[in-house]
Amino acid sequence: MARVQVDGDALVVVIEGLDKLWALKSRLTIPLSNVRGVTHDPGMIREAKGIRSPGTHLPGVITAGSFHLDDEWVFWDVQNPAKAVVIELTDERYARLVVQVDDPRATVALIEGAIPRA
Amino acid sequence: MGRPRGFDETEVVRAAATLFAHRAYDGVSIDDLVTHLGVHRNSLYKTFGSKRGLYMAALRWHVEHQVRPLIATIGEARDFAEAARRALAVHGDGAALDLLLMAAVELAPTDPEVAVEVTAALDALDEALAAGDTSAPGLAGALTSALLGLRLRARTTSSGAGPEQAGAALARRLSLHDSPQS
Repeated sequence: MARVQVDGDALVVVIEGLDKLWALKSRLTIPLSNVRGVTHDPGMIREAKGIRSPGTHLPGVITAGSFHLDDEWVFWDVQNPAKAVVIELTDERYARLVVQVDDPRATVALIEGAIPRA
Repeated sequence: MGRPRGFDETEVVRAAATLFAHRAYDGVSIDDLVTHLGVHRNSLYKTFGSKRGLYMAALRWHVEHQVRPLIATIGEARDFAEAARRALAVHGDGAALDLLLMAAVELAPTDPEVAVEVTAALDALDEALAAGDTSAPGLAGALTSALLGLRLRARTTSSGAGPEQAGAALARRLSLHDSPQS
């Protein structure tokens, strides 16, 4: 589970609880100008994950950590796919983040409302 | 952005506009989009950023390629009856107004960017319906509302008098108060 918040001009994703261990990461900070959008996407879990390094992947149980696929890095922290949101990034190490949040609808509204629009 | 796309972006946006017009924004999942548009999930994210990004592209496409041409033909109509007939029949199923109608109801009240698109389209519709008649300032807005209402009604039920007859009746009633030559 992740806690997603907006802090000034940055999006902060805090990995909570034991997920810190599985994902080998506790916090990601991304400038909002590098966030392209966010989508509640329960079906994302069925996508190919690619090669994990480092991280944890027990299919059907937990997907956490950095995964490499098609020349892209994707950060995952999902146990319950129903609550997964996909955060699309640009000019970052990760092409996108797929994280489980407590209230996907609220998280989408929070980030979409904070992204600077051209 | 110069990155290669494995699909026809315009075709995907057009298909998405149809999907959103029928099922609304909240009723369309990424699974639905992947299934109906034949695009890989990651490509969808890479190209549009989010479901909302695709929706904005679809709404803008709809306004430019479906609503604007309709507004142009409405502007050439002789009276409201003809305008209504054109608005509701020109594109067969009247779909030329549907995504706009759905956007006005569903997202415009809470999404400022959607509200800007919807307002601009409705203003243009007002202008076409007023057709230079400045004698009754509120009339164009009322006619636009009537048009949207007729389309809403047509979507809801296929029974009853039908939008064409309703449009004609409204035009007749309006012409009672109009100049004699109309």
